[in-house]
Amino acid sequence: MSLLRVEGVSKSYGNERVLRDVTFGMDRGDVEVVVGPSGSGKSTLLRCVNRLTEVDAGEVYLDDACVTAPDTDVDALRRQVGMVFQGFNLFAHLTARKNVTLGLRRVLGMDAAAAREKADAHLERVGLGAQADSYPAELSGGQQQRVGIARALAMDPKLMLFDEPTSALDPELIGEVLGVMRDLVAEGMTMLVVTHEMGFARSAADTLSFLEDGRIVERGPPERLFERPEHERTAAFLGRLTDLHGGSADRSVEADGRPDAGGESGPASDRAGGTSGADGAGGP
Amino acid sequence: MTTPAPPPASISLSAPGSLPAFPPLQASLRIAPPGGALPLQAGDWAFVFENAGYLLGGAALTVALTATSILLGFLAGFPAGAIEVYGGRYTGGLVRTVGVVLRGTPIVVILLFAFFGTPIGSAFLAATLGLGLRSAAYQSQLFRGAIQSVDEGQLEAARSIGLSRLRAVVHVIVPQALRRSVPGFQNEFTIVLKDTSVAFAIGLAELLTRSFDLFVQETTAVLEIILFASAVYFVLTFATNRALDRLDRRYAIPSGESV
Repeated sequence: MSLLRVEGVSKSYGNERVLRDVTFGMDRGDVEVVVGPSGSGKSTLLRCVNRLTEVDAGEVYLDDACVTAPDTDVDALRRQVGMVFQGFNLFAHLTARKNVTLGLRRVLGMDAAAAREKADAHLERVGLGAQADSYPAELSGGQQQRVGIARALAMDPKLMLFDEPTSALDPELIGEVLGVMRDLVAEGMTMLVVTHEMGFARSAADTLSFLEDGRIVERGPPERLFERPEHERTAAFLGRLTDLHGGSADRSVEADGRPDAGGESGPASDRAGGTSGADGAGGP
Repeated sequence: MTTPAPPPASISLSAPGSLPAFPPLQASLRIAPPGGALPLQAGDWAFVFENAGYLLGGAALTVALTATSILLGFLAGFPAGAIEVYGGRYTGGLVRTVGVVLRGTPIVVILLFAFFGTPIGSAFLAATLGLGLRSAAYQSQLFRGAIQSVDEGQLEAARSIGLSRLRAVVHVIVPQALRRSVPGFQNEFTIVLKDTSVAFAIGLAELLTRSFDLFVQETTAVLEIILFASAVYFVLTFATNRALDRLDRRYAIPSGESV
């Protein structure tokens, strides 16, 4: 039984058709990476999954519950789906810890002590145990994004959505965020990720989708899309993106302090169940 | 007016471009202060200090009226601002319209209406109602702007963890909007404090009304009394502004530079 099913989803803004009849499914533990040119509908697709954006047509199912039905309790749905934003969107007036406890207290109804304990555990998990009392503006972009991940994870979601989580970061801060995401992959979290990080896509994704003009042009295991793409557009786009964002295939490895000799990165063993040694650098 | 206007015929006879004769200047000088003595005098200061208790009683009423008006303005203005942002077409439109009317009416007219146009018998309550509703109309704009200045991503993030729209606004948007509205609120506070003097128009015995009572009695002391009242207004506005500055710093959202 699939955890997430997106069936024939379409969305337009005015005359612009952002999504056209998009269909795909994810099983529990799957990591799906969506790539595509800007304006291709990637973010909209993600936002349709937790209904931050309403679909015009089609359905989304989470665990066979219809997300898009008008009578769905969206708040109950969103409790089960974590989201990480490109711009972090941390609550600016709250410390890192309180960013995490807000949902635990006000959505899950936990008492203050239990919420605090859980928040601290999740901040520890993303390597920010020492920054629990810092305000967002006092943290680096990479730290802010890791708080954003902790905030979403603390709700114990079934599915995590990542909307270009590293696109707003300075290059030297990308690794720490990808490192946390890799840990999640290793723990078996189900993740739907929009990113331009080709190293992450190649080594961590089970499935890669190439989205263009609101359509899934091609979808399959990343190795196949990188090495034997069926569509010329896929080849051209992935090649260009790899030049830009995949030079060192796995920046999280650098962040861990292991040398990364021009892209021949460390073992892919951090992926539970492993997706073979497709970690290599460079495009096709 | 002592000088009769020239007959119309004289206008038509004058050279083209020349103006009709004006009344002589001394006619307009007749409105010089009674007694004509403006310079500050020790005796007049003595009069002021003899009556300082009376004036400070008026100042106490000024402070009380400011407090009740600001409070009413906040209690009505904050929800009004939120409704302008989040309300539907009709509730939002209604609140906007009431605000436009209140902001477009002179404060003296509002006070006269509150006192003479309603069954309210107490000048203090009428002044509170008039000043409070007028302040609410301005405070609503202050808070509307502050709410709209909070990044939309904040609301999305709050909704994404499962907070309802209302809770997201209450726990995430409002705390940030309130902090951002403190500087504007300082202005509003100062304006309301000074505008309590308009309650003079409905005879409420606040600071300016009592000042007037005194200089009608002792007409040479007008300047001294007005200076004294001004000093009291200044002390009150200065003190509340410094207090709000402290509040602003105390609750400011830390920015990166403070590290």
